[in-house]
Amino acid sequence: MTNIYQPDLMEVLDVQQQTADVKSVRVRFRDEARSDDFHFRVGQFGMFSLFGYGESTFNICSSSNWKDFVEFCFRRTGRVTEALWSLEKNDTIGFRGPYGNSYPMDKWVGKNLIFIGGGIAMPPLRCAIWYALENRGQFGDITIVYGARRAQDLVFRKELDRWAEYDRVRVVRCVDPGGETPDWTGEVGFVPAVTEQAQIPADNAVALVIGPPVMIKFTLPVLAKMGLADRDIYTSLENRMKCGVGKCGRCNCGPVYVCKEGPVFTLEQLKALPSDY
Amino acid sequence: MSQIISQPAIRRLVKQWLREGKRVVAPVQIRPDLVSYQPVRSADQFLLDGFIRPLNSIKEVVFPRHEQLFQYRVRGKQIDLLPAPLPDIERIVLAARPCDAAALPILDHVFNWESRDAAYNQRRKLTTVVALACMEHDAHCFCTSLGGGPDDTRGSDALLFDLGDDTLEVRCVTDKGQNLFAGQTESSTRTAPSVPGPERQADLQQVGQQLEQAFERSDWAAWTNRCLGCGACAFGCPACHCFDMVDEGGPTCGARVRNWDACQFGQFTLHASGHNPRSAQSQRQRQRIYHKFHVYPQKFGELLCTGCGNCTRNCPVSLGVLPVLEAMQAEGA
Repeated sequence: MTNIYQPDLMEVLDVQQQTADVKSVRVRFRDEARSDDFHFRVGQFGMFSLFGYGESTFNICSSSNWKDFVEFCFRRTGRVTEALWSLEKNDTIGFRGPYGNSYPMDKWVGKNLIFIGGGIAMPPLRCAIWYALENRGQFGDITIVYGARRAQDLVFRKELDRWAEYDRVRVVRCVDPGGETPDWTGEVGFVPAVTEQAQIPADNAVALVIGPPVMIKFTLPVLAKMGLADRDIYTSLENRMKCGVGKCGRCNCGPVYVCKEGPVFTLEQLKALPSDY
Repeated sequence: MSQIISQPAIRRLVKQWLREGKRVVAPVQIRPDLVSYQPVRSADQFLLDGFIRPLNSIKEVVFPRHEQLFQYRVRGKQIDLLPAPLPDIERIVLAARPCDAAALPILDHVFNWESRDAAYNQRRKLTTVVALACMEHDAHCFCTSLGGGPDDTRGSDALLFDLGDDTLEVRCVTDKGQNLFAGQTESSTRTAPSVPGPERQADLQQVGQQLEQAFERSDWAAWTNRCLGCGACAFGCPACHCFDMVDEGGPTCGARVRNWDACQFGQFTLHASGHNPRSAQSQRQRQRIYHKFHVYPQKFGELLCTGCGNCTRNCPVSLGVLPVLEAMQAEGA
């Protein structure tokens, strides 16, 4: 029986500073056999750790089509992320995963996709966006609404431009009022209002909405107004976790362990759960 | 016919087990008013009668308060992980209360669903549980509400009954129990009388139905208002198993460890963003009740409680699960 709490070692290939307090990191398994065997599905997460500092839970924000490496993204916030901030190329981190369920990309085939995110929530959208773009023929119109407090807080900014170049892809950028820079060309306003005004093709659509609780709260009625059913609205919960494998007892929402049966839920599923997230 | 053993014979057995390098854990009087399960160092150190319930539980024999998961060594860019060696010492828990023993098969579910916890399972395999049937109970016991009782055999490999005059009846439940007492008992016509269980009861069927609807009730604050959030309920509970994982040591060497944790602590579910799904103590109490009487049964088909009453006994404000369940029942559905 293997030790389910012992991570694999991964080598840092690249670190990108995204904003003043957000970085993304590309890593690869030190063990080549493990690297060859590794598969995950977009929407799953991993437990990333720096020895001597501890472990944190992050979405794997790279596409599952990308081989030989995975990426994760974090905001400098606490003990572990403060330590991760100093990561450099060739450093080694620990990784356990992939854990949790995933976005049902197969079920979304043939549909219009709406991705809505706020702030640091871009990474868990990004993996699905790239996956959809790499399988462009399988999906209808793709609309990405992404907002942050200020222009300089947008994560994966350069990729937003690349996504917009794809056929039938629209990227709507927005910043909170007062967060715009002189050269800002996107929208000014909060994500729910911008979504409402964006005239997004909403028939035969599914939406993936990830962001701060307040953003989600006010975006859901907008999507309902656009005609999306609760079963077509998805989100990813971010409950605090330690083990990632359904043992440590802290991530549950009622009878659901977010690390095992989540983190991806439809609004229909969430409404059946106690409000414990 | 029954099998009996004298107290001196049991103590001789314990001496032998200790000599063989086995770890023996039994109730020990650590203060005039305090009994605790402890590893025993000598055969006359432990109690075989005269106590209601130790303040702790036997879960720590299979799930220690603190354990290393692995060690790490960092030399420049080179990092080595050294897995914690699997436990190899045989353990015998002697004179466990049936409400403690009964928790072990309940814990097996969570440590084995979908992925298996190697160290836990190894300790379970190495552990033989000899329970001691209860002759008495106190005001906090409510085991019979949970399908238990003074002579419940769930989780026990053998069960002892006090016959008086330094004699115990031995009833072996499993092969492990048989092996432990093989050749050590004598046949007798004496059998232990059955002992009535505690009077205090909770109607768990009613509780189960109430919990279907009770999550949003505003009464949780009133029912649990006096909770101090100290976590003593969880640490003394035979079934609570939540844990934390942290690194101990420096950037060059140390270990990732697992420590007991408790859902009563404010930081238990605190997100890095500052958001906390359970920011109020009443929400944390609600979680503890739901986990035991709703979540665990839905997931694993068993209640996460054996009615031992330790949560109330150890609580500085005498809360614990039974007073909350009683308050809930008093309010009706």
